[in-house]
Amino acid sequence: MPWPPKVFWVGVVLYYGFTALCWIAEATSGINHIVGAPFWYAAILGTFLIPLFMSVIYFYFPEKAEEARGGGA
Amino acid sequence: MVTVEAPVIGITVLYFIAIIVIGYYSRQRLKSATDYYVAGRQVGAVVNGLALESTYLSPASMLGLPAYVFIIGYPFWWAMAAIIAGMPIATLLTASALRKYAPTSFADYYADRYNDERLRWLVGIVTVIAAVLYITLSIVGMALFLLAVAKVPYIIGLIVGTVIVMLYVVWGGMIATSWNAAFQAALMTIAAVIAAIAIVSSLGGINGFYEAVAANNPKFWNTPSDPQPPHVFSGTWIAVIGWFFVWHYGFATMPYTVVRFFTTMDIKTARRSIFWCTLFAGIFYVALQVIGASSKLMIETGPMSGTGANAVEILKGYMAKYGVGGWPDYSMIAAVEALQNPWVLGILCAGGLAIAMSTAAGWVMVVNTLLTRDWGSMLLKSKFAQERPILLARIVSVVFLAVGFIVAINPPGLVLDLSGWAFVVIISALGPGLILGLWWKRATRAAMWTTAIIMTVLHLYAWLKAKLVLGHHAFFFLNDVLFGNKAALITPHQVWAIPVGFILFIVVSLITKPPQEEVVQKYCVELTQEV
Repeated sequence: MPWPPKVFWVGVVLYYGFTALCWIAEATSGINHIVGAPFWYAAILGTFLIPLFMSVIYFYFPEKAEEARGGGA
Repeated sequence: MVTVEAPVIGITVLYFIAIIVIGYYSRQRLKSATDYYVAGRQVGAVVNGLALESTYLSPASMLGLPAYVFIIGYPFWWAMAAIIAGMPIATLLTASALRKYAPTSFADYYADRYNDERLRWLVGIVTVIAAVLYITLSIVGMALFLLAVAKVPYIIGLIVGTVIVMLYVVWGGMIATSWNAAFQAALMTIAAVIAAIAIVSSLGGINGFYEAVAANNPKFWNTPSDPQPPHVFSGTWIAVIGWFFVWHYGFATMPYTVVRFFTTMDIKTARRSIFWCTLFAGIFYVALQVIGASSKLMIETGPMSGTGANAVEILKGYMAKYGVGGWPDYSMIAAVEALQNPWVLGILCAGGLAIAMSTAAGWVMVVNTLLTRDWGSMLLKSKFAQERPILLARIVSVVFLAVGFIVAINPPGLVLDLSGWAFVVIISALGPGLILGLWWKRATRAAMWTTAIIMTVLHLYAWLKAKLVLGHHAFFFLNDVLFGNKAALITPHQVWAIPVGFILFIVVSLITKPPQEEVVQKYCVELTQEV
């Protein structure tokens, strides 16, 4: 059965894990009430930096694997 | 006499000139039908990435989104985050494999993987319905920006916007659409960032912004765990999770993004283009989160406000004044007007036109390829379609834009609302066949037909029942039957439909005859190896 590469799962676990942790912290510690905090963890990290990091590893590692195989796509 | 400040007119006119010039010059590069349909597969990573952003994000992002944010509250930020995170997920889920396969139309993969040419009809019909709804929404969006910001009469705005999109789609097909969409993405991102920076600066920085929003809208930063959630739609964690997932997988499966993966030079460019898309779309959405959070405050303290002003009432005043769309559609315009800076307003007008035009053009390109190549040439074996494909594609483009224009003259509210339905129906009806067709050998033709037909009909019924009988499309359509309370379960945009579509597809696949091994090997195993 075809199966997405390991790096796909790394990105998925990172993103959903981060989101779940934020929601748990909001529900238990109320971090959403720390002045300015939601902007940094939900907007800058959750909306911008982590998806961007995923998009980088999703092209970097497949390209590296292609080079190791001795060719491009 | 209504006065419009010179920067607004100047920036809007410059924007129109720029996209007409790009469209005209791209005509010279058009040599074949492949150039028209998929830009000769010569689009680079940066251009494709930007084009993906502006095509995927519909005019709703620049019209009603701020109102959704200030009404539903901070939990809606996570729905916006999930839209952006859905972009990289598509890289290895569908984009790489589909670029390796290099089809021309959205229906190619379905017909080949499931070994059934008739699927071109089925996939085409579902896509055409969605296209008409989205093209209409986009044309209304263009005219609404011209009306509310540049004070251009609605009918003139409709004509100007439609004719310009027609010109560049007819001239340069996917080449013009790609370059213009890239330019439009840059513009709308810059517009949102400038507006967000201006708002945050006026409120005294990030912390000042947080506190000002909290003072104006005390429940805004709350979550379902707080005693008073911002709204009933964000009142439970189930609802928040629903919002999170409702648009999350669209990027991997929607026709207007999927066809952009076909236009890139190679698989490497396809992957890298999603990086550029995520970069610009992420910046754009952070800016929209800020604008949305502060829009209530900005509207209530802006020039349209009075003592004890209420943002919703002010926006209803906008709607009554201009007579088009719903009151949330004016939230972005009203929030930026509150800054009283004509340069920012002018850039916002160009950015709003950009996001609307790019979405309309993207959908037109999907349907002109489907109707000309798949239906006309391959299924009906039309001599005209086979000998003059570019001419026919141009005619189809004009027809779809003309239909959108006619509906947009007096747009029924239901038609505009249904674009949200169309988004989910494509993912739930056609998404399982696309994703599982690539990643699951057992995916069968019977499952593809069953899921596409049942989910389209079921979701239309559910959406209409929720909207017309229960009162809002975000209510679960069986609330009255199961719980005796129409608002018992909030399932934004019927988010249940996507898992139900996948489950239905899996069940039907398991009980029907497995596909031929050689087809599976070619269109499933080989495409997904080393993506």
